[in-house]
Amino acid sequence: MSRLRLGLEMDGSSRGRLVRDVVQGLARVVGVRGALLVAPDGFIIAAEVPASVAMEPVAALAATLGRDLEVGATRLGRGAFQTALFSADDGTLFLAASRIGFVVALAEPQANVQAIRGGLEEAVSAIDSSWAPATPAATTT
Amino acid sequence: MSVTLPRLWWPALSRREPTPAELFGHADRLRRAGRYGEAAQLVLQGLSLDPASVTGHLLAAYLHVARRKTVPAKQEFRWVLERDASHPRALLGLARIALEEGDVDGCRESLVRALRVYPDFPEAQALLDGLAARRPATAPARPRLDRLRLPAAARALFVLAGDGAVIAVRPESAGEAGGRLARAAGFAAATLQRAGLGPLRRGIVADADDTHFLRADVTLTLALTLPRSTHITQGLLEVNRLWAAAQHELAVAREEVVETTPSVGTRRVS
Repeated sequence: MSRLRLGLEMDGSSRGRLVRDVVQGLARVVGVRGALLVAPDGFIIAAEVPASVAMEPVAALAATLGRDLEVGATRLGRGAFQTALFSADDGTLFLAASRIGFVVALAEPQANVQAIRGGLEEAVSAIDSSWAPATPAATTT
Repeated sequence: MSVTLPRLWWPALSRREPTPAELFGHADRLRRAGRYGEAAQLVLQGLSLDPASVTGHLLAAYLHVARRKTVPAKQEFRWVLERDASHPRALLGLARIALEEGDVDGCRESLVRALRVYPDFPEAQALLDGLAARRPATAPARPRLDRLRLPAAARALFVLAGDGAVIAVRPESAGEAGGRLARAAGFAAATLQRAGLGPLRRGIVADADDTHFLRADVTLTLALTLPRSTHITQGLLEVNRLWAAAQHELAVAREEVVETTPSVGTRRVS
């Protein structure tokens, strides 16, 4: 029923595995239909979504929406954009900013919002800690 | 024999300098894993060997966008378009940047150019649909928002028409935020539609300082900005209360518009 797509199929690095695990983990949260990690340019880094969802257009729009919220928050001096959810009659879209792009979850209409927000925060935290800039080695005198 | 030969030759092969194509290929694989910094190093190396590579400049542009660096990304996309005026990916990239800069017409123009040459381009079509989702309509009635009782902690209130036009804002100094919110609501609506979830009804957007609570239908979007510390349930209750009050004010404003518009029968002929 679902497709797994990982941009770095040829890379066996821990970061590649982490990305896949993060997206799969989020997609397994009760009430989540699908999850994606989308670069700010709309490129799909990893995705696990139902075959009925056209990934590329959704990713392009989600990245545009995420950048619009990021740029808007910065330009208006409100501090960094963090998370958003938008609900409709047939489900809810969750979006969160991470260092390498936007984590997106598509959920059922009756899904537990707090549980999915928690899953989203965990996903962002895992990505951000793995992609944190290297700390310069401490020097001793 | 066929298995051992490459193994014997590999050390010699690996000692040679990688070609620009190999560097760009490796950089693209790193980019696909979100390893933007490492990818950028390889692209720089490749471009030093082949400065006229369209692939290299396009990759450089993608990496700038991925690292949220708009100005160099725009330069790289333009470099590509100077050599291939209808390059679809470069046009899409420029369209995104135009949108970030608030140039909606520039964004639309780039997308239309890309789709004219490549009609089967789902990402460009989706973005164009997102822009078109909120087409300007007739001038909306302006509700009296000053009569609405806002929560004490409220930082702003916006009422947008179904076409995204800002029809009322409190305080008036928050006008720019209203415009951005309208566009974000338009793209949220387009994303929900593309994901097969239906029209936008509610939204919660959190940044470092504030949380924005939205309610929407086809005719109206209302957004209330509260401090980030506000409990979600409380925020939703407040926006629901204001939604009902704004609907009432909008109905009153529409009635006033009808009453003040002279009908054909009452027009005087001098």
